[in-house]
Order: sequence, then C-alpha cells, then structure tokens
Amino acid sequence: MPAKRIIPCLDVKNGRVVKGIQFKQLRDLGHPVELARRYDAEGADELVFLDIAASLENRGTREAWVREVARELSIPFTVGGGVSSVADARSLLRAGADKVGINTAASLRPALVTELADAFGRQCVVAAVDVKRDAALGWRVYLKGGTEPTDRSAMDWLWELTDLGAGEILLTSMDRDGTGDGFDVQLLEKAAALPIPLIASGGAGLEIHFLEALEHGADAVLAATLFHEGILPIPRLKAYLAQNDISIRI
Amino acid sequence: MSSAPITLIDYDAGNLASLEGALDRLGLVYQRAATPDQAALSGPIVLPGVGHFEAAQRSLRERGWWRVLPTLVAEGRPLLGICLGLQLLAEGSEEAPKATGLGLIPGIVRRLGPGVKVPHMGWSQVRQHRPHPALPDPPHGGWLYFVHSYALEPTAETIFLADHGRPFSAIEARGTVMGFQPHPEKSGPAGLFLLKSALAWMGSATPDLEVPCN
Repeated sequence: MPAKRIIPCLDVKNGRVVKGIQFKQLRDLGHPVELARRYDAEGADELVFLDIAASLENRGTREAWVREVARELSIPFTVGGGVSSVADARSLLRAGADKVGINTAASLRPALVTELADAFGRQCVVAAVDVKRDAALGWRVYLKGGTEPTDRSAMDWLWELTDLGAGEILLTSMDRDGTGDGFDVQLLEKAAALPIPLIASGGAGLEIHFLEALEHGADAVLAATLFHEGILPIPRLKAYLAQNDISIRI
Repeated sequence: MSSAPITLIDYDAGNLASLEGALDRLGLVYQRAATPDQAALSGPIVLPGVGHFEAAQRSLRERGWWRVLPTLVAEGRPLLGICLGLQLLAEGSEEAPKATGLGLIPGIVRRLGPGVKVPHMGWSQVRQHRPHPALPDPPHGGWLYFVHSYALEPTAETIFLADHGRPFSAIEARGTVMGFQPHPEKSGPAGLFLLKSALAWMGSATPDLEVPCN
C-alpha cells in the first residue's frame, strides 16, 4: 500500500490563486508557482489546482502557469476546471500536469472518462464528484460547483466512473465543505469499496478529522483553508498522523 | 562530472517539462533529442516514458533510437530509463507480449496485482536489495512517487525493491545502464537526491568517446 497522501487544493482564477470569502469577494493569495513552491517545501504529497473561471479565453494563461508549476514542483499535481474534451486534457498534460480533474463534463457525457483513460491512461484521470446527503438517494450528485442537483445517486455514479476508466475519485461532501466539522466518514466508508484511490474532501477542521478520514478508507485527504491560512501546518499534521500509525511520507 | 550535457530522448511519450525542471534545480545541463543525431556526443542519455509499452517502442523505432541505443550502451554510454523507460530496457513486458524489450537489463515486466489497487499510484518506500556505489539509501525514508500498472520482476541485480502486493524492482543498474521505476522528478528531495547521484555517477563514468550517433 502506498503512503496516505496530504493534498492542498488551490483555486485559481485568471492565473492567480484566490480564496473566496463569501462567493463574490475573492482574495488574491499569489501566483500558482509561489504557492506550489511553498507546499512542496512543507511536504505536501500532491497538489490539486482548480481553475474556477475556466473559459476559452483564459486557456493560454492556464497553460502558461501550468508549465511554470511543472518546472518548479517536485511533486505531482492535478489541474481541473472546464476540462470537457481530450484536447483540453492534452493541452494540460503537455504543459506538465500529471493528472486532469473532470467533473460536470463527465456527468453530461460519461464517454469522456473512457476517452481520456484510453488516450492518456487511467492514472491521469481524476473524477471529481460533489455530493450532498439525500433521503431518497443516500447521497446525491451535484454539478457546476454544487449548484445543480442531478438524479444520480453518488454510489451508483462512483461505480460507473470506475467502470468508465477513472483512475481516482475526488469526493467532496457539500454538507461538510467549509464547516470544519470533519469529513463525512459514512460516505467515505461506502466509497472505500471502490477499487481505485479515494481522495476525501470537505470538512477538515482538526488533525483528528484527517485521521478519521484515513481510518475510514480514504487514500488521500484534501483541504484548502486550513493549509492556506497556516491554521494546520502540513509538517504538524503529518507528524500527528505518523504518531497514530498512519503510513505517511515524512 | 563530465561537462557533456545530458541528452533527453524526446519521443512524445514522456513529460519532459517536469524532468527539465528537476535538472534545472540540480544545476545540470541538458538538451532534448528527438533523433539520435541530435544527441550530445557523450554524457548520459535519459529515456523517460509514460504510456503504453508498444506505442513507446514504435515511437523509438520511428525515430531511430531503438536500433542505436544498444550500440551506444555497448560502447560504454550511460543510459537512464525512467518509469516506462526502465520497462523498455528490460527483456520484455506482459503489456505487449509480442514485442521485445531492449534487453539491456535482465528480467521481464509483469502486471501488478491481483489483490491491490492498480495502477500503483502514490508514494512508496524503497529498500536496498544490492549495494551500488552510486546509489546510497535516499534521504527522508526513501519515499518515492510511483505511477504504473506493470513492474519489472526483481533479479539478483536489482538495487532497490519496492512493494505493491509483491516486491518489484524499483531501481536497476547494470554496467552503465540504470532504470528507475519511480519518477525521481516527482519524488520530492529523495527523488532529486537519487537523480543527482545517478547522473553524477553516469557523468563521471562517461568514457571520452567520439562516437557518432548512428
């Protein structure tokens, strides 16, 4: 079994890492390369960049910072946001991203997952899924950054994504996202039955939350604010997890 | 270390940006070579690689590398294969049963599993199997980053082993040929250490040959 991974997630808008304080006010945190360097030095195992304003016009900007990040970073990284074709993915991978994240586009056209896996290998395909607890479905899949409900049950969709060729699942609990109350461990326990790696997202507030997620089947844990704000430095988190017998790269 | 630049084989089957970034950080000089005539006249040659064994082999054939690499190695030229690059150096792979490998290191590449998640993706620790003067134990616990579905079966010559369901060869060396299954350019300080150690040894081991690359 490989080590459990700690993954900071960075939202990027127009080539800058931003942090949303409510939905409209975005605070500038710096150039992607600056943040990449910092997290590399702190011992992050991987980075996820999410382009929150992906559009045709800013594709050139994106390729430029992805290329710079690839040259600076000594750990792998995923880029997601607006990837809806093999050509989109190819431009990111050519620029140096190790993996591409797909979400809404995969739900609208599931064959995209297979096309990407066939073109680049399934290890390059990270399927991001946003879910909310639901009386009828257990957990319901949402699209477009969590704004649009679908009829899909999360578990059915996760298995379908796996069959289609996803190499990894990035599973965000919208119920927990931003609360700091801990990951949805019931959700993780169910998703841990998948034969592909599972990245838990949404709800990290304390060291123990990471431990819980990893003990309930997550292969990796993702967080943003805790790391960006320096509330929980990665070296401290990793030391804590290692003390609790989690296999982790120190 | 020899002043000859490192030759990076550029054949559309590898992500050279990250590798070049790592070499920049190590202060090493390199040049891309799509075909053998673009290679430096001496110094280490690096064969990166991601993707399918057979597709990579085809691409190397089309560019003339497949025929030339064994000759260069026979003349003492150092060669470092990374990830699929290591697998291509072996005798063959289950991924492409009809194709043969370069046969520059012994052993066969087999699919990982069953009973473990495939691809093996993430950080795993390596452990020494046989000492090698150029490759001491890497720092930081020897955690290296792997992404692969196939792996070389260990042989008596394997330098470092890693485990994913079963032990497999993580780092190989035979004469001036070396192979890394993990991505040293994606493996933090431990990866950079190994990459630097391997290339430094290869640079100093370079015979000063004026060999035309054809």
